[in-house]
Amino acid sequence: MIITKKRDFKELRENIKNYKSFFLIGCSECATLCGTGGEPELKAMKETLEAEGKIVTGGIVAKTGCQVLGTKTELKKNKDEVDKAECILTMSCGAGAQAAVEIFEDKPVFSANDSMFLGNMTRYRMFDERCSLCGNCILDKTGGICPVTACPKGILNGPCGGCKDGHCEVSPDIKCAWVRIYERMKKLDKLQEFCDVTLEAKDWSASQKPRALTAREEKKK
Amino acid sequence: MSFKDILNSGKFAVTAEAGPPKGTDIKDMLHHMELLKGKVDAVNVTDNQSAVMRICSMAVSKIAMEHGLEPIFQMTCRDRNRIGLQSDLLGANILGIKNVLCMTGDHVSAGDHKGAKPVYDVESVQLLKIVDGLNNGKDMSGNELKGSTDFFQGAVVTPEANPIEPQLIKFEKKIRAGAKFFQTQAIYDIEKFRDFMKHARKFQVKILAGFVVLKSAGMANFLNNNVPGIRVPQALIDELKAAGKEKALDTGMNITARHIKQLKEEKICDGVHIMAIGMEDKVPEIMERAGLL
Repeated sequence: MIITKKRDFKELRENIKNYKSFFLIGCSECATLCGTGGEPELKAMKETLEAEGKIVTGGIVAKTGCQVLGTKTELKKNKDEVDKAECILTMSCGAGAQAAVEIFEDKPVFSANDSMFLGNMTRYRMFDERCSLCGNCILDKTGGICPVTACPKGILNGPCGGCKDGHCEVSPDIKCAWVRIYERMKKLDKLQEFCDVTLEAKDWSASQKPRALTAREEKKK
Repeated sequence: MSFKDILNSGKFAVTAEAGPPKGTDIKDMLHHMELLKGKVDAVNVTDNQSAVMRICSMAVSKIAMEHGLEPIFQMTCRDRNRIGLQSDLLGANILGIKNVLCMTGDHVSAGDHKGAKPVYDVESVQLLKIVDGLNNGKDMSGNELKGSTDFFQGAVVTPEANPIEPQLIKFEKKIRAGAKFFQTQAIYDIEKFRDFMKHARKFQVKILAGFVVLKSAGMANFLNNNVPGIRVPQALIDELKAAGKEKALDTGMNITARHIKQLKEEKICDGVHIMAIGMEDKVPEIMERAGLL
């Protein structure tokens, strides 16, 4: 899921200082799991804004805030509330915020969150990054652990000199990605593969921005 | 004789370090170069060491040549993508730089520009392959070069890495990628280094053992606790302690000299790399005590 973090309210206050009325859009998917855009967070935001003398005309927790057409359809029932608001405050990720930008051509959209990374939830509201969305997966060659993400240097062929007792020089909280890969490949009896294969430099053209994908099959005429 | 010829002739090679300063005042650096001239076989010119921004290694490598020292141009993958790296390699080669040491490079989080975007488009093993390609007239994309490079390329290895197995696997990958010589992280335990060399001798590569002079027992403990891949045995720490504060540096220099002497006399490896770290002026004296001058 997309991991989001609440922006510091001081920063948000500065961004919205010239506006009075707001319509809030949360998201029932990732932002709800992150605690940044579910019902309780919308309620809390409403209270905070009202304490600042602002007006909240209404709000919804969109089913999937990044889905443009679906969110647009969902918002139809809130037309009056939306019309009364000078601007939109999204409480989802950057994709959700920009879905709102597309839906509301004539209203400013502000984001209450910072989008952090594609994350795994390890425990309740604890997230870590395991995939960098590079567009060119090498997991099948690295024991299923992504060194592009798990190694701060994205090294593809073994640990660097900064590995100390199996931990990373960047932070002792990080276990060396290549020690993890080595241990897993050993367990899977694939150590010879680790020894024999030198991975070529990645082709980064697969992550050239902005990326787009059409996954639907065109109907045959 | 060039650094490459010295190693290939079987003569015991000695390299030291020239750290480019931060700023354009190079007086001290030139003084250190003067001290090393005629004594060491080559000097490593570090590439924004510890991710701290300084003069680039290519410019200082060129200056070293002008002052009678053969440079080992250190190149990390932290600050340049594959276009920048290859372009700088071609540039270095036409300036007459022949030795290049390929490293991934300390992470930006260790340095003085912590908000910098780390590049790491390629890493050490892949950089070695790039150099091998340029030496054979091809860039990384397979395009023909008008004139190839003639680099003598090396890499680094950590004989005291823990765990050691993945480090040794990477060492072999570096050899397959074209590394001709290795300079090691600082070593302090000759018997353990001997074990590493037993493994390294299976390959056609030259190994220069790394040395960092111990200034005190406190420094030894600091290295043990904070620097990856360095392990100072307790016996040496005790030796430094017993020497007392005033004699600690002298004892540290003796330890280094004694170890270098043993490596040379017992033909354990092909040379040594002395990283002075702020004590460049002591390098000639250490070499003298080791019987190298």
